[in-house]
Amino acid sequence: MIVADLSQASRIRERRWVTQCALSRVCGCCAMSLERPVAFLGTGREVDRNAFHLPPMHVGCAEELRRTPGADPEWRLVTTSGFEFVRPDRDDPDPEPRFEPNSLVD
Amino acid sequence: MAISDVQEYMHLTDEEIEQLGRELDAIRKEVEDSRGPKDAAYINRLIRIQRYLAIAGRLTLLVGVHDKRTRVPAAVTGATLLALHKILENMEIGHNVMHGQWDWMNDPEIHSSNWEWDTAQPAEQWKHSHNYVHHQFTNVLGYDNDIGYGILRMAREQRWSPVNLGQPVYNAMLATLFQWGVALHDLDIERIRKGEKDPKEMKRQLKQIFRKGRNQILKDYVVYPALAGPQWRTVMAANVGANLTRNLWSYVIIFCGHFPDGAMHFTEEEIEDETRAEWYLRQILGAANFEGGPLMHIMSGNLGYQIEHHLFPDLPSNRYGEISVKVKALCEKYDIPYTIGPLHKQYGQALRTIIKLSVPNSWTNSDKPEPPTPPQKRRRRSDSERPDRIRQLGAWSRGTSQERKAS
Repeated sequence: MIVADLSQASRIRERRWVTQCALSRVCGCCAMSLERPVAFLGTGREVDRNAFHLPPMHVGCAEELRRTPGADPEWRLVTTSGFEFVRPDRDDPDPEPRFEPNSLVD
Repeated sequence: MAISDVQEYMHLTDEEIEQLGRELDAIRKEVEDSRGPKDAAYINRLIRIQRYLAIAGRLTLLVGVHDKRTRVPAAVTGATLLALHKILENMEIGHNVMHGQWDWMNDPEIHSSNWEWDTAQPAEQWKHSHNYVHHQFTNVLGYDNDIGYGILRMAREQRWSPVNLGQPVYNAMLATLFQWGVALHDLDIERIRKGEKDPKEMKRQLKQIFRKGRNQILKDYVVYPALAGPQWRTVMAANVGANLTRNLWSYVIIFCGHFPDGAMHFTEEEIEDETRAEWYLRQILGAANFEGGPLMHIMSGNLGYQIEHHLFPDLPSNRYGEISVKVKALCEKYDIPYTIGPLHKQYGQALRTIIKLSVPNSWTNSDKPEPPTPPQKRRRRSDSERPDRIRQLGAWSRGTSQERKAS
């Protein structure tokens, strides 16, 4: 079990870091290899759309991030085994890369 | 020639590129929606076969080498079975599982975060050097470390130095010791040499490589030979043979993915503000396929469909064959080069590049295809025919490819 570590959490909105986490399969908060299930934090709208903007995380790291001061009170935690990484298109109304969980665990 | 603007190089309009992107998205969606039990059965069956091959190989060596009459056939058979196991495990299973191709199955074992493959490089480092650095920056000079792996000069844009004269020798060494070359790949020795690598990260990676490498050596060159007692030398030789075979095969397959003549290189300008559709296009232009039957594709990790693998690295590899038919049709429709050829031809071109680029550019000619230039009318134009301003694409590219074909 990974101990929650938020050493990289300041980068979770950087596009480059998000892409790196998606492809290298590392946690956006601690930069260590992901574990199954993978956790995503998102607002209610993101959960409803099944499209998340924050990078994948360890469950422990995501829970810790949600507890930190300044965390979005709307964030909900979703766990999945796999996800699709979607790069934005030219005329995409959502210009940020996003994640679509494909095998929800919780 | 490295491409700094794929769109301009291909003479496609914004709309054509976006339409190509939408059509590739549709292919992706179709596979995502249809993956299911048949695909899961495929990967489970392959993992079972791979394990049987490993058991059969180890047992053949342990039991068969003690009798003088069966020693040589057992050693050859055992080495062959082990080599097949390693090839299958590394290429069709390990590489693809680590891309997350099978994560959707929700199987705790067959998952990108849990799979540790039978080779010296730690899985975590592979997922960074390959999944991220290579797949995100495919064939972009100065970004993609797979362009020559820091050892070989593989593009004419890379500066020549007298050290490159030894390329044919370095290449032979890399092929022979491929798993160890791959093991050191993510360390990025060039950055270490320049003092740019974070010492803490380097130490952590070195520890991982040491631990994984030590276990590989213990398994193949200490424990299994020791189990054979007095015939330990025969078992060790067979294990060396199996590893060597895997090394040579995976080296050839990987070198055929991006080094044949048709695979293009790009400059960093190309990736600035790249959209999904432009990213797709770069993947098509930067990769090369080879032909083969179903068994050949399985044994090469379906990397004979390198173009499809680069377009959809996280879709199940057993679907690349069917995807390739559609991608090829799209390439024809949009007049995009689709590089494919027999394995010997693709590898031959890669080898020729290695040898040619061991000497300065002025001694040899480029083998890369020249950019497709549109037909030009050989007459002078009046002012009214000239565009008011030259946009990024140039006037010619404002028409669609259909219109161009018709003209």
